[in-house]
Amino acid sequence: MRGKSGDMYLLAGFSGLMITLYLAFNWAPSVDINAFQSPEAQRIFYWHVPAAWAAFIAFTVLFIGSALWFFKRSPLGWKLHIAGSEAGLACGLMAVWSGCVWGAAEWGTPWDWEDFRLNTFGLLTLLALFLVLGRKSQPDGVESRDTFSTFGLYGFVLVPITYIATRIWVIRHPGPVIAGDENSSISGDMALVLMIGALSFTVLIIGHIMTSIEITKFEQRIDRLQKELDGE
Amino acid sequence: MADPILELDKVTVRRGMGVVLQDFSLHIKSGECVILHGKNGAGKSTILETAARLLPMESGAVSHHGSLVCDGQGRRLNPNSPFGLTLQSNCLVASQTVDQHLANVMALCAKSIDLKPILSAFKIANRRNDKIAHLSGGQQRKVAVIAGLIPAMVESQPRLVLLDEPDSGLDDSAIEVLIQSIHELRNIGHCFMIATHDSRLFECGTSLNDLSSEKTQEITNSDRWTVESKPNPVSLLKTKIGWKYNSTTLVSIQRNWLAALLVMGGLLSIVDPLTLSDETMILMGFTLAPAFTVGLVGDAVFKILSEQRSIDWWRAQHNLVPNSYLESFISGIILTGISSQIFIQSVDYRIIAIGGLIALATTACVRFLQLSTIRLARSNAVFIRLLTPILILPWSLMVDYCAKL
Repeated sequence: MRGKSGDMYLLAGFSGLMITLYLAFNWAPSVDINAFQSPEAQRIFYWHVPAAWAAFIAFTVLFIGSALWFFKRSPLGWKLHIAGSEAGLACGLMAVWSGCVWGAAEWGTPWDWEDFRLNTFGLLTLLALFLVLGRKSQPDGVESRDTFSTFGLYGFVLVPITYIATRIWVIRHPGPVIAGDENSSISGDMALVLMIGALSFTVLIIGHIMTSIEITKFEQRIDRLQKELDGE
Repeated sequence: MADPILELDKVTVRRGMGVVLQDFSLHIKSGECVILHGKNGAGKSTILETAARLLPMESGAVSHHGSLVCDGQGRRLNPNSPFGLTLQSNCLVASQTVDQHLANVMALCAKSIDLKPILSAFKIANRRNDKIAHLSGGQQRKVAVIAGLIPAMVESQPRLVLLDEPDSGLDDSAIEVLIQSIHELRNIGHCFMIATHDSRLFECGTSLNDLSSEKTQEITNSDRWTVESKPNPVSLLKTKIGWKYNSTTLVSIQRNWLAALLVMGGLLSIVDPLTLSDETMILMGFTLAPAFTVGLVGDAVFKILSEQRSIDWWRAQHNLVPNSYLESFISGIILTGISSQIFIQSVDYRIIAIGGLIALATTACVRFLQLSTIRLARSNAVFIRLLTPILILPWSLMVDYCAKL
C-alpha cells in the first residue's frame, strides 16, 4: 500500500512538473528585456529554482537519516539516508544542469568559480553522487553505513552555508526572489508558476523518497533470503 | 596480584550486519598466553583486531597496561607502549627489504637488537637484504611473524603480543621456532593472545579459549629469552619512515611528479606564455597548477601502505601513520620554481613558498578523505575523489592572491 502511495506521489509530482513546464514556456509573463541578457532563457527559472528547493529538502532528509543511523543505528535512518542521497543527486543535478544552461545564455559562462553559493551547491551534489556511487561499490554493513552516514552528517553543513551565501555573497548569481531583501519580488503570475513548480517538485521528492524506501526494503529482504539460502 | 596487560571489558563489536562480539570480556596478565581457537567466523580475529584498536566498538573498552586505548564512545588513544602485532595479512611493504621493515619495527620500539640470530632461526638470514616482493609467501609470513615478536624481544618489561594465525604459511621448522620463542618470551613476563587453528601452538597457551569457555593448562617449558637490546630513539619517526618509503620506492616521483609534469607539459603544448604576458591571473594559475596537482594525486605513502594492510599495522600502533607531507612540500616548492620560470619568467620566493604550502595542504586534505574511508571493505572502489573539487575554490583564491603580489 505504501508502495502505491509512493507511486501516486511520483505521478502527481511528475504531472505537476509537466504543467509547470507548459506554463513556463506558454503562459508565464516575459521579463523586461533590458534587465536580462537573454530574456527567453529566464524561463528556466521555473525549473531551476524548484529543483534547488527540492534538492535542499532531499539533503535535509539525508541529514536526518544519517543522524538516525549514526546515533541510533536506526534501520529507518539508513533507508532515509539512501532515499535522501538519491533524491538529492537527482534534484541537485537538475538544478546544476539547468543553472549551467541558463548561465551560459545569461552570463556567457556556465559556471562561476568565484560564486560561493554555486560552488557549495555543486559540492553538495558531488557529495550526493559520492554517496550513491560509493554505497553501490561496497557490501552492506555497519562499516559502510557508518562511513557514508558520517559524510552525510558533515556534508549537511554546506546547506546553511549555501542558504546564507544566497543572502550575503550575491556576486553574479542573483539573490532569492522570495523572502529575500527589499529588492526581491516577482509578479503574481510568475510567483504562481513558481509555486506550482515548487509544489510539484516537493510532491515528486516525497514520492521518490517513499518509493526509494520500499525498494531498499525489498533489497534488504532479498539479501536476507540469500543468506538463508547460503545457510548463514 | 599483577595488573592485566590487556583488558577487554564488555566489548560489543559488529561486523557487516551481524554482532560478532556481545559484552565480551578478557583479561591477560603478564606471563600468560591465551590461545583463541574455534570455528571460522567465531570472532577470533575480531577479538584480536579489537584489542589492537583496529575495530570500532558499539560498547565496552580496551586497555593496555591499565591505560584506556579505545572504547565504545569513539575514543582512541595511543598505547603507552608498542605492542607486537601480526595480522592475517602480512602488513609488509613489498618494495622494502626485510632489514628495512624490521628496522622500522625496532624504531617504533625505540630499541634495537641484532636480528641475525632470529633470522637464522627462521632460516631467512640470507634474505635480509632482499626486497620483500622477492620472497616467497612463506618467507614473507616469517618476516611478518618476526615483526610481531620484536616488540617483546627488545624489552625486558612486560609487553603485549597479538598474533592472528601466525602459523599460516609457515613450515614445520618455523613453527617449532615460533613455539620456542613464545615460551621464552612469555617466561620473562610478556603476554600473548594468539588466534589459531593449529593444535601445535596450543602447547604455548596458559589458557585455551574457544570463545564460549576457557581452559587453563600448565606449561613446563621454562626457557627464558635473553634481552640484548640497545636504546635507539628516533625523533619524527612517522615523517622519517614516510621519507624512507618514498626514497626507496620513488613513488612520489612516479605518481605525483609525473602528474604535475604532465599538467605543465599539457599547458605548454596549448599556449605560449609569452603571448599572455598581460594575463597575470591565467599565468599565475598555470604557475600554481603543478603544485595543486601534486596534492590532488594524493599521499604517496598512503598508497604504499595500502598494500597488505600495512596501514592497519601502523594505525594499531599509533594514531598518526607515516606520511609524505615533507615530500609534498618540497615537491611543491621545486615544481612551482620550475613553473615560475616557464610561465612568469621570474622567481618570487613568496610564490614558490605558497606553491609548497598548496601542495602540502592539498595532500593533507586528500589524505584526510582517503583515511575517512579506510573502514570500508573496498576502500579503493569508493568514489572518494568526487569530493576533491572542494579544493578548487581555495586554490583559485590563492591564485588570485598571488596574481596581486
